[in-house]
Amino acid sequence: MASTLLRTTKVLSKYPAFTKLGASCISTSAVRNTDPQIKNDIALLKPEEVEHKKKLQNYITVEGTTDISTVTGIPEDFIKERRVRIYEPAKNCMQSGTSNIGHWELDFDTRERWENPLMGWCSSGDPLSNMKVQFATKDEAIDYCEKNGWQYYVQESKLDKKFKPKSYGVNFSWNKRTRVTTK
Amino acid sequence: MLRITFTKVLNGAKLSPKHIYVATRAQSGEVKKPEKVEVFIDDKPVYVEPGTTVLQAAAMIGVEIPRFCYHERLAVAGNCRMCLVEVEKSPKPVAACAMPVMKGWRIKTDSEMTRKAREGIMEFLLVNHPLDCPICDQGGECDLQDQSMAFGSDRSRFTDIEFSGKRAVEDKDIGPLIKTIMTRCIHCTRCIRFASEVAGVDDLGTTGRGNDMQVGTYVEKLFMSELSGNIIDLCPVGALTSKPYSFTARPWEIRKVDSIDVLDAVGSNIIVSTRTGEVMRIVPRVNEEINEEWLADKSRFAYDGLKRQRLVTPMIRDCNGELKPVDWEAALLTVAKVIKNAGSQVGAIAGGLADAEVLVAVKDLLNKLGSEALCTEHTFPLDGSGTDLRSSYLLNNKIAGVEEADLVLLIGTNPRLEAPLLNSRLRKGWIHNELQVALIGPKVDLRYDYEHLGDDAKVLKEIVSGRHQFSSKLKSAKKPLIIVGSELLERADGAAVLSAVQTLAANTPSQDKDWKVLNILHKVASQVAAFDIGYTPGVDKIREGNLKALLLIGADEGAIDKSDLPQDCFVIYQGHHGDQGASIADAILPGAAYTEKQATYVNTEGRAQETLVAVTAPGRAREDWKIIRALSEIIGAKLPYDNLNEIRCRLEEVAPHLTRYGSAEEANYFKQAEQLAKKIKIQLDECTPIDVKIKELQDYFMTDAITRASPTMAKCVQAVLKQKQSKY
Repeated sequence: MASTLLRTTKVLSKYPAFTKLGASCISTSAVRNTDPQIKNDIALLKPEEVEHKKKLQNYITVEGTTDISTVTGIPEDFIKERRVRIYEPAKNCMQSGTSNIGHWELDFDTRERWENPLMGWCSSGDPLSNMKVQFATKDEAIDYCEKNGWQYYVQESKLDKKFKPKSYGVNFSWNKRTRVTTK
Repeated sequence: MLRITFTKVLNGAKLSPKHIYVATRAQSGEVKKPEKVEVFIDDKPVYVEPGTTVLQAAAMIGVEIPRFCYHERLAVAGNCRMCLVEVEKSPKPVAACAMPVMKGWRIKTDSEMTRKAREGIMEFLLVNHPLDCPICDQGGECDLQDQSMAFGSDRSRFTDIEFSGKRAVEDKDIGPLIKTIMTRCIHCTRCIRFASEVAGVDDLGTTGRGNDMQVGTYVEKLFMSELSGNIIDLCPVGALTSKPYSFTARPWEIRKVDSIDVLDAVGSNIIVSTRTGEVMRIVPRVNEEINEEWLADKSRFAYDGLKRQRLVTPMIRDCNGELKPVDWEAALLTVAKVIKNAGSQVGAIAGGLADAEVLVAVKDLLNKLGSEALCTEHTFPLDGSGTDLRSSYLLNNKIAGVEEADLVLLIGTNPRLEAPLLNSRLRKGWIHNELQVALIGPKVDLRYDYEHLGDDAKVLKEIVSGRHQFSSKLKSAKKPLIIVGSELLERADGAAVLSAVQTLAANTPSQDKDWKVLNILHKVASQVAAFDIGYTPGVDKIREGNLKALLLIGADEGAIDKSDLPQDCFVIYQGHHGDQGASIADAILPGAAYTEKQATYVNTEGRAQETLVAVTAPGRAREDWKIIRALSEIIGAKLPYDNLNEIRCRLEEVAPHLTRYGSAEEANYFKQAEQLAKKIKIQLDECTPIDVKIKELQDYFMTDAITRASPTMAKCVQAVLKQKQSKY
């Protein structure tokens, strides 16, 4: 994923001449009545070097993954020790509907639960236990995990079935074992 | 179907990737096979094979037509009429599930006529359906509920001015697993079709006509099948629900954890539903390569055994010979001291439920202490190539491959009760693929016709030498399979049997180059992983070893007794149930059951799969490999792994396929295994007939520590025995 980051300050500090230039651009006085000065460090540069300096003034796009785990505020032990599972949910065997499948999901490993002594309910100290995130593709889920600095693994599902045309007629075929006798 | 979830819209997936994939495949296939016919579903063109039904064609482009009776793994019945759709220029709506498409048909799945037809059907169904959704166990995952919301009318014309009440049907008693509330039945006949096609128990059927039609067993009897639980899933309404699960939880308040079943060697994929820190139910998860979407009864209903007879605290046998609960520190210190004093005279036996992580941890520990006495409870021949070549102990042709076979020879196995889902595949092949089956062993009921070649070991010898009448059939078969039960190989002459079978498989030609004729069917979940890691099959080493300490890792089958061991041998049992193993132990270290740990299991095909943590282990019980890791540190032979990732790395070092979850690694070297097997000296014992332990349904339910502790399984055994006495 490409991201745009402000890295100008770092770049500037490498070029002391440029820093000076930058500082002089910010003027605090209202009026300046001096003659326009020809700045030696710029005037002596070659055109391509000027071009290069101009480029450095803009934002720099850094290719690569972004790790936002340092700024998300999630405690360390919830990042480092968790195993995230990326998987493709299968159809619920109890029902015939299929509109809630066909995507990828991620969830976290189950942590300890205990019976709460107050009410006897089930307690958990894990805020991520209810987190299931859906993605359209596997790669999106992987990117998301990498961005958050989680350890993940992909659990492939075996859901593809060989297509076979269904036939009502085979119920009545006289010489096949598909013949139905009970109704 | 109706709505796209909010997140999906955000992710820009209007159609799921699966559907898109199917659509593109259908179109690219059109170029290669010009005989495909073009039809239009809601004006979208789709190319399908001739004979495809309207419903299947619609599914290809992601249009789901509502249905009740149609199920893709059962025969077409076409009796619920919910799938009626309009076809342009057809005067009447057509039943999409049964009607093959014709060229150029324009099918309208959301037209006025279609919607009206659906609404009418819904109205008829609801007239005779009780309004008891609030107390119905199907509530929340009920097809009738969902579809009446989506396709039904928004008002009712049902006014019972006579106060005569709705149609009511008496409930049936079909056993301790399935609760029937027959008033809710909408006569989709899915259960009937499942019983007669998949289970092969033709007990269910309909009586009466019209409003008086009833689904039942004609006379009241137990639905005697090892796959009976699946009709609960199939039932689109709440007519058939789970008896042990009844009134315990709602689908929207349970947590679902994908896991693996370990009560047989098939490794069915399951979903463990939990609530309030306990397992509420187990349902199957689709995996086309293993269990499709079925699940055997033992795997589905034995979960209540996980709450009983559990070892919840470490225990040490005191001077009076009684096991006394102690804390982990005392237990580990005692055990560590014993093992340290034993030095290299320490052994371990792995039971049928041990996972790969604990197996490798124990092996590393004992090897560090200088011991090689690591055994599995169930034996296997060691002569010839033994367990060195994987091909001689795996179901090499995979479970799904069984469907394609045209001739199967079963030797010393009862697949119906040892691996019910393999048997359902065999039955599928028998029905749809004209599969022929022959069996050497006791005459057991497999629920399909087979040729019984007798239970004489001589028959095997004759077939190998080509003198038997069956040999010619085996030679002429296009895709022959030989499935050998692991139990047969546990005999004293097991090596000779394996050698004979390897020779037979090598001499049996098949048309497909990748077809593997030789297949071994195991009975317990841990066996393949144990062999892969390098355990010695059988407990002979332990008997001869003059051991001072013995570690039982869930070994409960009584393979070893106190009398087999020296007087001063200290027995440590690590496991989750107080069973045979715990009763002979001097110290008990409570471990986690398969629903309580993230662990690796390898099924009989050699496919590594992992269970996930669904609930926390009870009391002070801990994950098994962590106990061994803690013990190793006290002994002073620290194992170099501290977390799951690190032990998985170790597993990968030992055998890389152990962490390639979901895929079955191909095994090879059949020829070399056969040549090595020829060198063995043991002769085939022709006097002892070939036998299997589990012959009838009542033997099936209680086979390991978990199922023996399960009250539901005990009820099943009782019910089957009672039914056997009945004259029906």
